[in-house]
Amino acid sequence: MKTRRFVFNTVGFLGLLVVSIIWLVPLALVLMNSFKAHTFIRVSPFALPDDASFAGVGNYVSGMGRTGFLIAAGWSLFITVFSVAVIVLVTSMTAWYIARVKAWYTTVLYYLFVFSMIVPFQMVMFTMSKVANVTHLDNPLGIIVLYAGFGAGLSVFIFVGFIRSIPIDIEEAAMIDGASAWRVFFTVIFPILRPTAITVAILNAMWVWNDYLLPYLVIGSDYKTIPIAVQQYMTGAYGQKDMGGFMAMLVVAIVPIIVFYLTSQKHIIKGVAAGAVKG
Amino acid sequence: MRVSKYISKWFPLFALPTLAAFILAFVIPFGMGLYLSFTKFQTVDNAQWVGLQNYVLAFTENSDFINALWFTVRFTVVSVVSVNICAYGLALLLTQALKGTNVFRAIFFLPNLIGGIVLGYVWQLLINGVLQKIASQDLTYNSAYGFWGLVIVVNWQMIGYMMIIYIAAIQNVPGEVQEAAGIDGASFFSKLIHVTIPMTASAVTICTFLTLANCLKLFDQNLALTGGAPQNQTEGLALNIFRTYYNIRNHQGVGQAKAVVFFVFVATIAFFQLRFTRSKEVDG
Amino acid sequence: MTIKTRIVGAGIALALALSAAGCGGSGEEQVYFLNFKPEVAEVYDKIVAAYEEETGVKVKVVTAASGTYEQTLSSEIAKRNPPTIFQINGPVGYGSWSDYTADMKDSDFYAALSDKSLAVTSGDGVYGVPYVVEGYGIIYNKAIMDKYFAMPNKAAAANSIDDINSFAHLKAVVEDMQAKKADLGINGVFSATSLSPGEDWRWQTHLANVPFSYEFTANGTDVSGTPAEVTFQYGDNMQQLFDLYLNNSTTEKGQLGSKTVDDSMSEFALGQSAMVQNGNWGWNQVAGVQGNTVQAENVGFLPLYMGMAGEETQGICIGTENYFSINAKVSPELQQQSLDFLYWLFSSEKGKQFVTEDLKFIAPFTTFTDADQPNDPLAQSVSAWMNKPGVTSVSWDAMKIFPSQQWKDGFGANLLSYAQGSMEWSAVSEDAVTSWKAQAEAAG
Repeated sequence: MKTRRFVFNTVGFLGLLVVSIIWLVPLALVLMNSFKAHTFIRVSPFALPDDASFAGVGNYVSGMGRTGFLIAAGWSLFITVFSVAVIVLVTSMTAWYIARVKAWYTTVLYYLFVFSMIVPFQMVMFTMSKVANVTHLDNPLGIIVLYAGFGAGLSVFIFVGFIRSIPIDIEEAAMIDGASAWRVFFTVIFPILRPTAITVAILNAMWVWNDYLLPYLVIGSDYKTIPIAVQQYMTGAYGQKDMGGFMAMLVVAIVPIIVFYLTSQKHIIKGVAAGAVKG
Repeated sequence: MRVSKYISKWFPLFALPTLAAFILAFVIPFGMGLYLSFTKFQTVDNAQWVGLQNYVLAFTENSDFINALWFTVRFTVVSVVSVNICAYGLALLLTQALKGTNVFRAIFFLPNLIGGIVLGYVWQLLINGVLQKIASQDLTYNSAYGFWGLVIVVNWQMIGYMMIIYIAAIQNVPGEVQEAAGIDGASFFSKLIHVTIPMTASAVTICTFLTLANCLKLFDQNLALTGGAPQNQTEGLALNIFRTYYNIRNHQGVGQAKAVVFFVFVATIAFFQLRFTRSKEVDG
Repeated sequence: MTIKTRIVGAGIALALALSAAGCGGSGEEQVYFLNFKPEVAEVYDKIVAAYEEETGVKVKVVTAASGTYEQTLSSEIAKRNPPTIFQINGPVGYGSWSDYTADMKDSDFYAALSDKSLAVTSGDGVYGVPYVVEGYGIIYNKAIMDKYFAMPNKAAAANSIDDINSFAHLKAVVEDMQAKKADLGINGVFSATSLSPGEDWRWQTHLANVPFSYEFTANGTDVSGTPAEVTFQYGDNMQQLFDLYLNNSTTEKGQLGSKTVDDSMSEFALGQSAMVQNGNWGWNQVAGVQGNTVQAENVGFLPLYMGMAGEETQGICIGTENYFSINAKVSPELQQQSLDFLYWLFSSEKGKQFVTEDLKFIAPFTTFTDADQPNDPLAQSVSAWMNKPGVTSVSWDAMKIFPSQQWKDGFGANLLSYAQGSMEWSAVSEDAVTSWKAQAEAAG
């Protein structure tokens, strides 16, 4: 039994190692080329940087300068942090309501949220930017409302799925004790949902951080997030694209989200461990 | 039922905020979009009612829309199956007591952290590089290259995403259930089939639905990797709609009508998929 | 918990403050210019700052990201404070936006236009005024050409770049150069014929402009709108030049489907090719890039010779796809202020300086003298060709009435299939004609 376990672990580990190296090839290509001058990326994308093609941190410096990167990063951070916080809070509450209240309107709501996920964004983009404009939601605070509304589908869907797998006895017991629904949710349900909530937060953070079209159409004329700034200042007419700057900005933009992911991942594991002790 | 009654009066607090945002961001724009599909328009402000004309044109003008539909269906079937099998397998492995699981999880998740378009270009470089080495051809040479290229890119991007949902689900399976099965001397596979998969059925529902929706909506990667080449044979539905919108004069309404047809199509498939997988779930 | 509450509280306060600031910024009506050219976005920021300093009028400039102008305009123009100045690409663009374009015939800005026939008109109204003249042809690297002309064993009759004045001469020189490419230190005469989707406009639009231009002239076609049908009667001439590009290239035909315009320009900049078809806008893809070997004094244009009768007097392709329009749906005061800004930019000393030195536009206005020309070598070559005696430029009128982007993309996809050997030229040619008819009808 022990040796089988050992063999399994070793094989598993080596297999994962090989696959993850393959996984990283495209990203390594981005990283490597971010240190090469534009023309050389174009002509020989697979060559390692050499004396002629090495651009040092030139792509990083010019990219950050031209895109106004720090300001863009500020807006991206602001919008992402608050959108994600709002989404996680309100959709987990709504999901609980939908999962536990058995009525025709919760079924309708559930399917409405689910179907919103499959609508191609192109179908609603002009009308949404118009609605945002008319209702004065076309600013960095208003866009949080839009994200909450547009991201609700996915988040409610995931939360409902998980809440349905939580035994209802726990809530029943708490309610017999006389706790209000508000308290039951925040002291009983939300702690159980924590790993799911963090998962939802990660998924939404990625989406909002990288989203281009929605902020571009709604607030892009006044406020530039990172994807907007990069797209706008790194490409020109007649097919000109500053690949070096592009790749460098990609590398820089990915750092905060990786940090966020790693921190959250630690919390997921901690949450699970805590649950195990309690159980 | 008691719980249901207890909570239901809290509607304004629990459901209303999300619902209000949802109505503003989605329901109203969607309704307006529906209306626009029956009009001829340049911007949201100057629409003129034309009835069903756009819907007729969407199907009759040329066969591109039908071809795109078929391409999308084939692509979606292959990708949904491969993404979910790979993601579930990885999630199982990465919830075992292996060395470095955290690092592996982060690596597999990494592709998701970057937007679609730029990675489409990077993959284009890579796949073209390989094809040039072995066949002196490129992605535009044969529609099969584009098809499988897209499958690879989408697998690479989505597996990590689905993996973390599966991991969360597998970790939610109470430890004592797993241990009990272990004491019974159940083999790894029978434990998997009789315990783990049924206990994580809700995650399977979630993930198959998400991959389905994302594959059907595929746009960025399609545009960046193949752009439809050769001869629009690798043009998916979303790309076809987008091009109808912008690349043919006075066809915004037709594009909008195609989007509605697309929506109805996806909604139907998704509805049946949800009913099917839900029926396999153990009730919580 | 209390720390968390505090963080949330502080966050909300910050959010409110920011949004209050945000609302203030975009509240009032103002002159709003939606810029089409992302590569000069930073220049416009300087221009509006200078304008505000001089006149006190604030102008908002927003630049649409590359390739998204129509999308951006569709969204922006339906908003509370829509763009007051926007861009159309000619008669086809006017067809789409005619609900929004104001008549500019009484404006100083239009009055300054040097050739009134260049404007987009309908009836006696003027709805689009061109603001930049551009030219394209075959850009050559004179250093490499001279190296070839100095070779003792050269087989072509031409002895200098000036001797190349027809397709026959061009072909002889190119093919001999390709045979001697190792001695010349190049990978091929022409840069890659980029045919990757979205990167094929140099052929499906720019190259195709020449045969259609000849066709419309020969048949006396009305070019104020898209003709219902075409014959593509000079398609074989286009094929000749296209074949020359394909057969004497840095890149094998099988790999052209992955090449981009940027790839081609990079090859030219690195000295791997001697020629590339492109326009004067391409200079900033060559000048100043790391590894560039091309000197400013060594570049110039050759016309797109393709064996047309009398092509010795054919010049390069000169025209514009860039027209300013004024939004008819904003208040008359705002329309006037917008026109004032444009007139200032193209007539005041300060504005003109920005136009020639920073925007590097060849501006088609009477307010510009011969001295007011941009100093980049390709722009100067365009001016030289425009003013060359005995030479007639090919206008851009034909490409501006191609029926739709869909037609161009389809034509480009066929050119790719032709390059890969999976489609005959006759089929390419036939499809160009039939799909033109279908697309012209669809746009109707």
